[in-house]
Amino acid sequence: MDGSVKVTGTPALELRSVRRVYGFGSAATTALDDVHLTVPSGRFVSLIGPSGCGKSTLLRLVAGLEQPDGGEVSVHGVTPAQACAAKLIGLVPQSPALLPWLSVLRNVTLPQKINRGAAGRRERIADFAERRTAPDMKELLVKAGLGDALDKLPAQLSGGMRQRAAIVRAFGLQPDVLVMDEPFSALDEFTRESLQDQLLDLWEELRTTVLFVTHSVSEAVRLSDTVVVMAPNPGRIVESIDVDLPRPRGERLFGERRFHEYEDLVRERLRRAWHSEAA
Amino acid sequence: MLAILGGLWQWGARQLPYLLPPLSGVGSSLSGNFGYYVHNALVTLGEATAGLGMGFVGAFVLAVLTSELPLVRRAVMPVAVVLNVTPLVAVAPALVVAFGFGPMPKLIITGLICFFPILINTATGLRSVPQQVLQVYRTMDASRVELLWHVRVPNALPYLFAALRIVFPLSIIGAVVAEMSASGSTGGLGTAISVASSMNQLPVVYASILVLAVMGVLLLLAVTVVERRVLHWHDSVN
Repeated sequence: MDGSVKVTGTPALELRSVRRVYGFGSAATTALDDVHLTVPSGRFVSLIGPSGCGKSTLLRLVAGLEQPDGGEVSVHGVTPAQACAAKLIGLVPQSPALLPWLSVLRNVTLPQKINRGAAGRRERIADFAERRTAPDMKELLVKAGLGDALDKLPAQLSGGMRQRAAIVRAFGLQPDVLVMDEPFSALDEFTRESLQDQLLDLWEELRTTVLFVTHSVSEAVRLSDTVVVMAPNPGRIVESIDVDLPRPRGERLFGERRFHEYEDLVRERLRRAWHSEAA
Repeated sequence: MLAILGGLWQWGARQLPYLLPPLSGVGSSLSGNFGYYVHNALVTLGEATAGLGMGFVGAFVLAVLTSELPLVRRAVMPVAVVLNVTPLVAVAPALVVAFGFGPMPKLIITGLICFFPILINTATGLRSVPQQVLQVYRTMDASRVELLWHVRVPNALPYLFAALRIVFPLSIIGAVVAEMSASGSTGGLGTAISVASSMNQLPVVYASILVLAVMGVLLLLAVTVVERRVLHWHDSVN
């Protein structure tokens, strides 16, 4: 099961025969088994699959929130823990996870006050010799359509606006890998599509590597350079599909035949993975 | 409502003069010896707030330690629970024997009474940060101190204020109980009450009780005002 795509330089993400088991003995479930994945820098990669296929587990391994039971995970050639210490990773969880006592602006600027030693550690990791200046968070918020909400508290915002603030917080770190765990799953269809637009806008500009977990086929096709299809029992990668559609991918894309062909392809692969498991 | 209660009181005072003093007697005692009540109220208030401060600092520090170090939690919590179920009123005389009639036993009793609610609530608040928030800051490799300062302590504030609402009135109870068990104390409304009741001066007893009640209300009001400012972001305030 190989999910490799063409590699140039140190890949942003590399997983080699990664295994993750929850529980012990007969109660053990294999969340991930023999997973290989290589993601070159700057790619937008989605993980898609039914529940229990280990896509969120894979994401947590990359973000250093869990340790693999076998195999290796590396982010720009270093371990996830080292990558976190150098603030190479930005996480957008399922809920916005904003701090309710801080204004939107202070929520998204708080990361700059945390782990100030990260810049030095970042320089010591091979590819990141250049020093970066902190981005203007106000500007980023305005760009994300939150210009009127700078001084508001999270409780005063809609769910979509809160999730946008969470995305801006992650982009503000200027991470080299952005990991997103079904960030739009709690939103209604309209909000979801406008947030996809905004995510793509921000991404076009800042060009980080993105690992995006979703269970929406159209979302995966619309956003990604590569869609990685996963299957459960044990959790594994079935196939990676490169999505060769032009960018920027605006609303017009939904009307195009090629877009729907990719959707059908991903759906068919998901179904096949499901049936092979049932057999 | 107050008028009805006042009327009932007056009627009761006429029927049972040994149980209830007439309100006029309480009032004249208050106005005639205003300085006496203010002085004793300040003594009690001083003991209550100083004891509360001691209990607060101790409980807060211990709450941070217990939430950061599981070993400390397992060691300290059983002791804290035993301390909490022990009737501290019963400990007061022993403390008076140990520390004399000065302010020390009063501060200790008040501190101990305030200690437990603050410890439990603060520890709960420090530990109840949502998982996904912790994950976001863990991927930035936030240090424990950074997490405490920026995330855990602010998260614990609503819990802390809930404890303070309980503990401010308790601190006055603690101070009064301690004063009463140290017969021969030099001041405080608790002393005033025990001295006056031993001499059958019911108006003085009830005037002191009234002052205590007013003090309690004022303290609670103060907590509420501060809470509204600090927790303006929290649902409980809106």
